[in-house]
Amino acid sequence: MREDRVNRPRATAGTILLCLLSAFAVLVARATPQAEGVTDIDPHKAFGSKNAPVTMEVFSDFQCPACKTLFTSTNRQLMDNYVSTGKVYLIHRDFPLPMHAYSRIAARYARAAAQIGKFEPVEQALFQNQEKWEQTGDVDGTVAGVLSAAEMAKVRALVKGGTLDAAIDKDSALGQIYRVSQTPTTVFHSKGQTYPFAGVMTYDMLKQFLDQLLSQK
Amino acid sequence: MMQSSPLNARRAILWIGRLVLGGIFVYAGFSKLLMPNTHLWPMFMLKFSVSMNIASFAQQVQSYKIISAEASQVVAHTLPFVEIVLGLLLLIGWRLRIWATAITAIMVGFLAAVTRAYLLHMDINCGCFGTPEKLTGMTVVRDSAFTALALLMTIFAFREAREPHPWTKPERA
Repeated sequence: MREDRVNRPRATAGTILLCLLSAFAVLVARATPQAEGVTDIDPHKAFGSKNAPVTMEVFSDFQCPACKTLFTSTNRQLMDNYVSTGKVYLIHRDFPLPMHAYSRIAARYARAAAQIGKFEPVEQALFQNQEKWEQTGDVDGTVAGVLSAAEMAKVRALVKGGTLDAAIDKDSALGQIYRVSQTPTTVFHSKGQTYPFAGVMTYDMLKQFLDQLLSQK
Repeated sequence: MMQSSPLNARRAILWIGRLVLGGIFVYAGFSKLLMPNTHLWPMFMLKFSVSMNIASFAQQVQSYKIISAEASQVVAHTLPFVEIVLGLLLLIGWRLRIWATAITAIMVGFLAAVTRAYLLHMDINCGCFGTPEKLTGMTVVRDSAFTALALLMTIFAFREAREPHPWTKPERA
């Protein structure tokens, strides 16, 4: 009938609108933040004050290019402007992806270095030389480049000890709880709320977000 | 009296094309803007989520190494919205020939990009939807199927306009 034909576009548009609203409702439901306490913190891989108003957990893979980008573009300024000033408590979490051949080995070395108080230089060396060691697999040589012989001996002993994998797996398991599906993923904790964010951010983006989070009442 | 025409093969392809491609385009656009970061409230969280998603998408566009970083930013800031609008227009069916042609052109572009990346053995995410998805041979096959469907839909949309089914021709007094 002619009347039916005239109303069909309206009915289609109405159905589409209903579908969109349903999808939006599902997303809102999925996005509802849940308050979570931060547990299992390795003090050697955490920086700043535990009482800072914002806690940031960064789930990272040393062989992932996006993690390198996040580290090089935000880490220094974040440490200087937010961590050192007591506004942010920064926790590094290991989330080695199975697709990367050497990321777990790199995580072991970084964790071993953390245990002797040398996490920062080793983390920096691993990210800065990522393209080199991911070709050769020479993680040991990369780490040796920034540690003394005595420190390197301790790190090698810890890596060979085989006790580090349990801690790495614990971080990965925590990532699963936050539904980490890619690296880097940063989980922000503020005022009892938890906000996971996947992907790379610029320092400007991060700064704007942290300032908003810190000014939230 | 005016009556609906029966569902022949041509019309079936048009319907399938509109529903499948329209739905996929709307989903692809929304997922690029709202996934994997889906914090929608308060407003600054939504703003940050969308900014993060667009930044990640820009990185994925750049990883194809076809266009510059600046051009990747432009694509990342416009493509999701274009996909949503084109998908909705296709679902509504208004001016079908124009929007079907536009979608076919975009699909040919996507297919060329993923095929090139696959042949060059590039280890990248396809960036097709919001969530990370490794570019494999299946991505090429899937995009080929969608491009073929878009092409058929466009051809049939033009034919439908030129030779409407006898039942849908206007009645003469």
